[in-house]
Amino acid sequence: MENNGYRNLFIFGSLACFAILIALTVNTFGKLDQRAEPITEEVNAGKMVWHKYDCIGCHTILGNGSYFAPDMTKIASRIPKSYLKKFLMDPKKTNAHATMPKLGITAEEADQLIVFLDWISKVDTNGWPPKPIMTVTAGNVADAYTKYQCADCHSISGVGGTSGPDLSHEASIHPDADWQLRHLTDPASVVADSAMTPFPDMSQEERTQIVNFLLTLK
Amino acid sequence: MKYKSHRIAMNFFTFAVLLFLVQVLVGLIAAGQFIKPDFFIISFNIIRTLHINALVVWLLCGLMGATYYVVVEETEGELWNLPLAHFQFWATAIATILVVIGYIVMGLNPQANKWVFGTLILNEGRTYIEAPRWADCLIALSAILFLFNNVMTIIKSKKITGIQGTLIGGMVFLTLMYLPGMVYIKSMVKDQFWWWWVVHLWVEGAWEVIAGALLAFMLLKVTNAPRHVLERWMYIEVFLVLFTGILGIGHHYYWIGTPPYWLWIGAIFSSLEPVPLLVMVWDAFRTTRENRIINNRIGLFLSVAHAIFNFVGAGLWGVIHTLPQVNKWTHGTQITNAHGHLAFYGAYVLLIVAIIYIAVPNIKGLKDFNTDRAYKAFWWMTVSMILMVLTLTGAGMVQVYMERLMGVDYVVVKEHYNYWFWVFRAFFGVGFLIGVGLLVLDYFTMGNLPVRKGASNIRTTASA
Repeated sequence: MENNGYRNLFIFGSLACFAILIALTVNTFGKLDQRAEPITEEVNAGKMVWHKYDCIGCHTILGNGSYFAPDMTKIASRIPKSYLKKFLMDPKKTNAHATMPKLGITAEEADQLIVFLDWISKVDTNGWPPKPIMTVTAGNVADAYTKYQCADCHSISGVGGTSGPDLSHEASIHPDADWQLRHLTDPASVVADSAMTPFPDMSQEERTQIVNFLLTLK
Repeated sequence: MKYKSHRIAMNFFTFAVLLFLVQVLVGLIAAGQFIKPDFFIISFNIIRTLHINALVVWLLCGLMGATYYVVVEETEGELWNLPLAHFQFWATAIATILVVIGYIVMGLNPQANKWVFGTLILNEGRTYIEAPRWADCLIALSAILFLFNNVMTIIKSKKITGIQGTLIGGMVFLTLMYLPGMVYIKSMVKDQFWWWWVVHLWVEGAWEVIAGALLAFMLLKVTNAPRHVLERWMYIEVFLVLFTGILGIGHHYYWIGTPPYWLWIGAIFSSLEPVPLLVMVWDAFRTTRENRIINNRIGLFLSVAHAIFNFVGAGLWGVIHTLPQVNKWTHGTQITNAHGHLAFYGAYVLLIVAIIYIAVPNIKGLKDFNTDRAYKAFWWMTVSMILMVLTLTGAGMVQVYMERLMGVDYVVVKEHYNYWFWVFRAFFGVGFLIGVGLLVLDYFTMGNLPVRKGASNIRTTASA
């Protein structure tokens, strides 16, 4: 029994550590609700949809999960919800480059999921994910292009999001300024079933500025 | 077979190695999906679920087989209730197969995963613990029957050794830590909080305690080292594992909506997590050096390899991204993926393979046996895994730099800049599969080939 001291160190030392963990857990649970918005029935319904389709089998959320598809923590704060809904219900039809399969998500489930994603995007995560510190830009973009965060969905020369079409050669694809203006005002009026959100608050001057910029992208 | 109870250990080992093969086969499909997402009939999320669940279950089966073996050896008698042990094995195997069938059904038809009485019927949609609630209950029941049988065996024999006690303690801890994963919580933050209790307190807590106990047992069996020295170091190791590991859980509570004090707790304790793993390496080398008479060289070789790769994979590859200043950028990238692969391989795959090469020859009554294929399997697996992990680490570095630091879109980085990393990873995955194939073949044919001259598995002279 010469090892009794070591054995006791193991048993009681470990139990002490575990007791500290329990105390910290109790303390943490007292603070969690202040660090997030209240959970409504809709938020919970969305979480149930999240689990039903095993979304975490491809995506991460709060950085945890699978590394096959983008993190979903802040998605609802960047991508328009009308786009998200269309995408969830039929990914490849909404974005031809999408990898995500059509899972059979209904309109109701998509709405619930978006409410849940909106809730998670507002959780206080101690500043994660951090803003990039060496942000690249696609040359001199128009001010309005930056203001309306067009780069969240569109990319120019590889810089920007991949939800919407690549704009690198937009001037060659749609050279008509009038078409571009009408598209910015109401995307669905020129592109049937467009997933792009309209920007009703955009001034005429800003529209023209963006169109002029797009027409330089040969 | 010296004891009838060894049949139970063999059953678990056989099921484990077969599931290992399944795990690596589906892993290869997943690797292919990184290159071409649509090439397989079942989508990535379910393939990954199969890959990870096969891993968890085969490691658990390996640990259960190991425990049955150790308890029988240490108490030098049969199990308390043999039919109960048989029942526990078959119940575990059948429940596993049912769960797998459920996953495949969901893979073919996602709508089949319905909410019934507040639980999902096929897949809970929670990484690592996807198994549905009905299966959770069966798993918990299986674990309780397993523990009860082993504890009763020890009580009956009145021989409680330090190794055995620690092993059973680790198994009790493992069983208890499965429970926090069995409740539904409306808040995703709280859901992930408890989820990490299961996942972290398993792989960086209970499982490492079990690994410490099994390492001591294996070193005891293959060398003639004195038990009290091995047990003393085992206690130090497992204490340090839990001292660093329990509060080391803080490194999972940096960014999930938990208070900022976890940044300090996680940073301090998880930075110390490699220490006990380094002590295990030192322990393995010291024992080898001090005891030159070896009755199972492949067993010792694998035990030392396990200790080294446990330290490298779980320790070093973990500590590089455990500080919040680093983890802020690397959290949820391929860096985590690289760490996960090497940690599981080093800490647990090699552990089970080592215990198999110590237990099975003894169960089969092999004094000396041909180990050529065992070494070949080890090198195929290990070299392939190292190259795969380096590939994933490279992909992770590119991802962290381009996506996290420069703001390039996730999809662009994955599809363009990391493309060749996925190709290389799949290539090394094939190498790993060859290794596993050799291992499974050797498992079923162990002792059939004649011992090659000059390649004995036993070292009897102290001079070598």
